[in-house]
Amino acid sequence: MGGHAEEGKGSVSRRGFLKSAGVAAAATSLIDDAKKAMEPVGPAPAAAVRGETEIRFKLNGKETVAKVPPSMTLLELLRERLDMTGTKQVCDRGACGACTVHLDGRTVNSCLLLAMDATGRDVTTVEGLAVGDRLHPVQQGFVEEDAMQCGFCTPGMVMSCAALLAKNPAPTRAECAEGISGNICRCGTYLNIFRAMDRASALAKGGK
Amino acid sequence: MKDFTYVLPKDAAEAARAAAAPNCALKGAGTDLVDRMKEGVTRPDTVVNLLTATDLRSPIREENGRIVMGGATTLAEVAESALIRKVAPGFADAAAEAATPQIRNRGTVAGNLCQRPRCWYFRNDTYACSKKGGETCYSIEGENKYHAIFENVTCNIVHPSNLAPILQVLGGTLHVVTANGTDVVASDVAVKDFWVRPEEDISRENILVAGQVVREVSFPIPQGMTGSSYVETREKASFDWALTSCAAALTLDGGKIASASVVLSSVAPTPLQLEAVEKWLVGKAPSDALFREAGTKATDGATPMRDNAYKITLTAVVVRRALSAAAARATGGGK
Repeated sequence: MGGHAEEGKGSVSRRGFLKSAGVAAAATSLIDDAKKAMEPVGPAPAAAVRGETEIRFKLNGKETVAKVPPSMTLLELLRERLDMTGTKQVCDRGACGACTVHLDGRTVNSCLLLAMDATGRDVTTVEGLAVGDRLHPVQQGFVEEDAMQCGFCTPGMVMSCAALLAKNPAPTRAECAEGISGNICRCGTYLNIFRAMDRASALAKGGK
Repeated sequence: MKDFTYVLPKDAAEAARAAAAPNCALKGAGTDLVDRMKEGVTRPDTVVNLLTATDLRSPIREENGRIVMGGATTLAEVAESALIRKVAPGFADAAAEAATPQIRNRGTVAGNLCQRPRCWYFRNDTYACSKKGGETCYSIEGENKYHAIFENVTCNIVHPSNLAPILQVLGGTLHVVTANGTDVVASDVAVKDFWVRPEEDISRENILVAGQVVREVSFPIPQGMTGSSYVETREKASFDWALTSCAAALTLDGGKIASASVVLSSVAPTPLQLEAVEKWLVGKAPSDALFREAGTKATDGATPMRDNAYKITLTAVVVRRALSAAAARATGGGK
């Protein structure tokens, strides 16, 4: 895992941004058209966008600029445009939790979140948990307790566990179950995940 | 997903005006809408993002004897609110029981009330079911394990909202804004009057029409020795829609039930107010036997289909449990 965002990879590069400025101008005229079409007489209509639109948000602590159509989900933006493939796509309907990321510190399904709704927000993905080479306590706990089999649910599972640990430094087994109740592991590694959480809790408190 | 014009209103008035556009969808968190758009069941040309409307984000607060909150208050905010937990724990329970932590962190109160039903024929765009303008309700002859056991006549959906029955029990109100040309007027709708039965209009589940937005939701703070509760049964311990659900509020006076409000959900196209059960409860002393009998009475008139008769038993169970929990809370000091 480790650091994610090399220049021009984790976020839109300066060069890519300049290249897209022309598209932005075209998009602006589309917006004007959309506004005109909706415009009755009287108060100004609400702001509206259509087509590729620039958004800015913080991704793993780094200011990020991207262009997205309104129909693009945050998951698609992360995986397909920002090359951040740690976040997994499985059901793509909010029914499995594999795509879980943090939005302002709270877990969300990135498959159901329109990327535009991340505007101005803090997004943390599994790539953003480790500090340099030092794994997040939850990641360390998962490694030590072998809390995965095929590993496909793991990034989402880790994000749910990390959010729980931030809120509750010593969760009970029941609280852990509730904390990961939005994540499904088809390999059935739940018991190992609970042990990993116990370990993570101890590590976060400075235990050995 | 088909592309669309995304409207970012600054308040409910702007949202309501924009929502008058043809083929327009209102979006809170989008946890339901984005799902339907990916499935191709809903294909809007315009989507109005209610999350940018600041007055829909008004905080949970006490105001003139009522609890008031913006329509875009999240389920997690409701579940975590000390104020709601204190005055109406049943409402906090209903929010906490819904879906998953991820969905509760995004899903909104108004969105929960207005989400579309989970019927698998409705959710599958290859079935031109009667709700989608076709001529057949496929659940009548088809797979109907999760469908209605009451009022299942023309369309057998069950109402999917956790908050609907408890908000109705608490006598809740939806504060709606309506765009009339460029004018925007505010009006209040009682939650009990919000629902539309399939026989009235099969295409929708509530009275909202184009150009209307739920700005805020409120309910009066329960008075006296009142307890409220919300109980549901599910196939899975979490991360599932209810098979049956019941919200109840009981007010006790001198050891007797002075007033009762009981609403069933997940068993009919709309939340069902159990008026006969409520009348029968009033004047009686709360007991396990009484609530067990109330549970049985609640199943009167059920018309189960091939695969869902089990819901009759589970209806009796949720009614008994909800009444017991409400009574315990009422005697525990009034909540």
